[in-house]
Amino acid sequence: MAESLLGGSTGPGSGGLPELAAGRHPEGPESRPDEPGGNSLGGHGGHGGHGGHNLTGFVIFLASESLIFAALFAAYIVFKRSSPLWLPPGVEGLEVREPLINTLVLVSSSGVAWLAERALHRRQLGRFRLWWLLTMAMGSWFVLGQAREWMGLPFGLADGVFGACFYLLTGFHGLHVISGVLLMALMLWRSFQPGNYDGGEAGVTAVGLFWHFVDVIWIVLFALLYLWQDR
Amino acid sequence: MSDSVSTATGSGATSGPQGSGTPPDRRDPGLDRGAVVLVTLGVGLDLLASRWLMDQVPHWLPPQASTAAPLVDDLFGLEVGIGCFLLLGCTAVMVWTLLFDRTGRYDRDDGEPIEGNLTLEITWTLIPLVLVLLIAWQAIRVNGQLASLGGKVRVAGAAEALRLVGLEGVEEIAAAGGAPGVDAAAGAAAPDHSSALRPAQAGSAAAIAQASERSTAALAAAQRSSPRAAAGATVASPPAGPPPAELGPVVVIARQWSWEFIYPNGVRSGELHLPLNRPVRLRLLSLDVLHGLSIPAFRLRQDVVPGSVIDYRLTPSREGRYRLRDSLFSGAYFAANQTDVVVESEEAFSHWLETALASPLVPNPNLASDLWEQRLRQGNRGWATVAPAAPPLVNAPLDATAPHAG
Amino acid sequence: MSTAPIRFDPRVLRAPHPVPGAPDNWRRFFTFNTDAKVIGIQYIALALLFLLVGGLLAMIMRGELLTPPADLIDPTVYNGLYTMHGTVMLFLFLFPILNGFNNLLIPPMIGAPDMAFPRLNALAFWMFPLFGVILMASFLVPGGPASSGWWAYPPLSTQNPLGLLVNGQFLWILAVAISGVSSILGAVNFCTTIMRMRAPGMGWFRLPIFCWTALAAQTIQLAGLPVLTAGAVMLLFDLSFGTSFFRPEGGGDPMLYQHFFWFYSHPAVYVMVLPVFGFFSEIFPVYARKPLFGYHVVAIASFGIVLLSLIVWVHHMFTSGTPQWMRHLFMVTTMLIAVPTGIKVFAWLATLWRGKLWLTTAMLFAMGGVFNFIFAGITGVMLATVPVDVHVGNTYFVVGHFHTVIFSTITFGVYAAIYHWFAKFTGRMLYEGLGKVHFLLTFLAAQLNFLPMHWAGLMGMPRRVAAYDPEFALANVLASLGAFLLGVATIPFLLNLVSSWVRGARAPANPWQAIGLEWLLPSPPPAENFEHDVPTVISAPYGYGLGHPLVADQERYEARLQEA
Repeated sequence: MAESLLGGSTGPGSGGLPELAAGRHPEGPESRPDEPGGNSLGGHGGHGGHGGHNLTGFVIFLASESLIFAALFAAYIVFKRSSPLWLPPGVEGLEVREPLINTLVLVSSSGVAWLAERALHRRQLGRFRLWWLLTMAMGSWFVLGQAREWMGLPFGLADGVFGACFYLLTGFHGLHVISGVLLMALMLWRSFQPGNYDGGEAGVTAVGLFWHFVDVIWIVLFALLYLWQDR
Repeated sequence: MSDSVSTATGSGATSGPQGSGTPPDRRDPGLDRGAVVLVTLGVGLDLLASRWLMDQVPHWLPPQASTAAPLVDDLFGLEVGIGCFLLLGCTAVMVWTLLFDRTGRYDRDDGEPIEGNLTLEITWTLIPLVLVLLIAWQAIRVNGQLASLGGKVRVAGAAEALRLVGLEGVEEIAAAGGAPGVDAAAGAAAPDHSSALRPAQAGSAAAIAQASERSTAALAAAQRSSPRAAAGATVASPPAGPPPAELGPVVVIARQWSWEFIYPNGVRSGELHLPLNRPVRLRLLSLDVLHGLSIPAFRLRQDVVPGSVIDYRLTPSREGRYRLRDSLFSGAYFAANQTDVVVESEEAFSHWLETALASPLVPNPNLASDLWEQRLRQGNRGWATVAPAAPPLVNAPLDATAPHAG
Repeated sequence: MSTAPIRFDPRVLRAPHPVPGAPDNWRRFFTFNTDAKVIGIQYIALALLFLLVGGLLAMIMRGELLTPPADLIDPTVYNGLYTMHGTVMLFLFLFPILNGFNNLLIPPMIGAPDMAFPRLNALAFWMFPLFGVILMASFLVPGGPASSGWWAYPPLSTQNPLGLLVNGQFLWILAVAISGVSSILGAVNFCTTIMRMRAPGMGWFRLPIFCWTALAAQTIQLAGLPVLTAGAVMLLFDLSFGTSFFRPEGGGDPMLYQHFFWFYSHPAVYVMVLPVFGFFSEIFPVYARKPLFGYHVVAIASFGIVLLSLIVWVHHMFTSGTPQWMRHLFMVTTMLIAVPTGIKVFAWLATLWRGKLWLTTAMLFAMGGVFNFIFAGITGVMLATVPVDVHVGNTYFVVGHFHTVIFSTITFGVYAAIYHWFAKFTGRMLYEGLGKVHFLLTFLAAQLNFLPMHWAGLMGMPRRVAAYDPEFALANVLASLGAFLLGVATIPFLLNLVSSWVRGARAPANPWQAIGLEWLLPSPPPAENFEHDVPTVISAPYGYGLGHPLVADQERYEARLQEA
């Protein structure tokens, strides 16, 4: 249920966007000049690829997506500052050590993803796949760590506004990490298709962007949930 | 004749329309005497019409029964006047073009290719800007004088709200209603309602007085954080003579679907009795969902928010019986959730309060419950709703048959 | 292109896109078609169907309100009907129909072959029937549909009297969420298209105003919908999973939902009204035969409205315990919106001034819409004024105000657009006589319906009531008569649409002698619009009477239309 609500942002939305768009006109987006003043169609006319717009579309989408998180963060801050009730009875605060390790893994995975993109840019496909796979592994590690933390917590979703906020924020972010890993798997699979990068690397760039986005969100989340514990 | 005016002005202005931003004189006044006369006549008529409409405003509104009402009405009248002037002016332009700028059946020529006029565009940016800032300034002044909104304190649910206002007697009910997973209204509708309320009545005056001191302090502290409102409070007192002592706080409890008023001396009432010309402080709380306290004759309205206790001040200024309505949708029998405000002289009010104190608690007449019973009798058809809360037990029930003045 | 008018290649009949001159291939409207023009018509047709549904609900409500007591239907049913009326009209009629016009108009207007992401476009469309069915299905679940108003304010909306997991409110949130997803996908698509796919030479200040306003409106969608989504997720969790986001007992705050809701839902009005401003700005120059007065300012004012619209939402919460300073701040920002909208209104009036008015049905609806909008703008400023809002907020005055916006302005604009562009996209002329009957009835009925509501509100009649005090009876009888008349007014419209599309006169490429890229295409335009021959734009739009061509080599494009 929750998934269907969040779905637009995680499931069909981000997963589908580059693919749906790229699918129709796989040919030649690189020939699209980015001239200002609206000359982007110049001379080529109609049916040619729309692929060059994928990144534009994806960036717009991410900007919009980030506002869901902004809204959730705002809710968290308002609740934390104004609620007459906060931590559930018997809960002192959150354990920071393991989440911190998790955080380091996730944040450094962004660097690894960047290495992968650079390798792809240099047409070093083997290295790209290696770094890419490592990024996926680090992302999965993070999700597993998150799941472990959830298992061990003494409060649940229905335990006051704190419990609700904690699970909603981490869960919603976790969904993004999972979809990021799935998108990377898709890109990895595609990298084995011959001629996949003839039309540019928009897909990988978009997923890389998504991954950095997910990381930045987590940094804010980590600061809000784990570091800012006193009221 | 008008046709000739139209062509005359047409030949006069090749540089595009000029004039002040108000629509009727968007013509070229400098060059054509006919146009000047016409525009002046138009603006004059527009002014007269707007003035006339402003005078009609009182006929559209309920009687003015609080000190807030004249302020609000004057502000509204000002807006009606300005709005009417603009609407008529713009309409005049459209009607003019409809009458005189229509093309012939087979004439497909183009009009004058006027692409813009910077002066004119700046004018009609500035005029609305000045107008709305003027209205806003006036509204801020009026709002400061009303200063009706007092402090607001967040509470964790109905039980804590009742504790804050000193009504612990009904706490258990509220707690049952407020527990997560149980519907507030269903809980409040529990049959032991009356038995739980009765002990609360005994000695409740002292408890309420004590608690009201505590909560007044809390609410005042909450209000101090917004200094403007506090500053406005000094303006709010009536202009002549020493301000009469404030009545209250009168605790107003909103439920699905009933109103209950509890006076500082412990009297519970189904209708709100207020002494004339004396400021009163209401302390609003809801035991279930959002409600709105709205008294059209007072021109005042305030949402009643579960999870908050809100203070609200007003001063009635006209004797009579007026409607008090729920203004924020609260579910199935929302429309039935209304009662009366009775404004009466100081003596009549004291007499009422004394009589009420001596009266036994009886269930207040409650239209929502009646309608619900009726629905159950007819086979409970219709879509789902929570059951109405049991009617509050009051010393002074609502006189449902008395006519109201607005 | 030069298909013989009588005999068709059978492949033409099966073509997934409209083929000029070919008999309509109806099946394509029921498929996952990626052609923006097909999607546009899909949106509009389905949205008009839901307009009838929403109108029917409204007429039942007005029937109930003919007499003071709630005697026609149970109050719970009334509450469900008004909730669904609002939801249907906003989420199943206006948003979709305007998305339909985005699909139809944006690509031809900017000379693009299609949307930037055609498949995403089709996906976004097909969510519409999905959430439409979900919402309609909620009438059938036990307990009936959502009945807490289209605001769905908690804790009322999370009361769930029957305690079932699948209830009307649940389906309502689900439908609204899917609608939100669809809108975000659409917004990404429209923005990318306008930003990246304009014809050569079409700089920002050669962009038709409709595209400006569409871009502005979609920007609001992108900024506002995520916030509503966050609020809706929390509401769903409160309703279904026992969380306490908006429950005071668990430390939650029902006010926060209102902030989230209005942060989107007030700007949502601008999402709907901005494209309609675009329609007016397109239509007036055509039928007044004059350039749009102050094109640059009108274009930029759209984004002034966007910026302001994102900082006004608290005016819906003036009486919810909002501190004084915040009320004053949001009162001023709300009133400031009158400035950019005023600029537009005055520009339209100046466009009409000394024009050569051609009173087609489209023009009548546009002028009527602007008249109504001025009225609604004035009552809007009244509602923005805190002390006045304290009196009339949540009364029928508000109902009258926003119906004057949403019906008498936005829907008038939509009607105007239908009458203006029907010929272009169906290849058939609408019958003007029936159109004028439609306009006259609609205009009169709208006034009869919505004017008395203001009066009832001033007297203090709360909105959303199934029963009312007898002193409001006259106003309500008048409003009900108006509502029924509005229902009647739809009949000539529907007759006109159906009969004209089936057997109306064939439309020439440019029946209104309008200037614009879409009018350099045949009616209906071929699948990829200009295909490989995209014209180079050399001047600003709306050059009526200026005598310079819009595109380079304009004669060639016009000659090609003559041939077709």
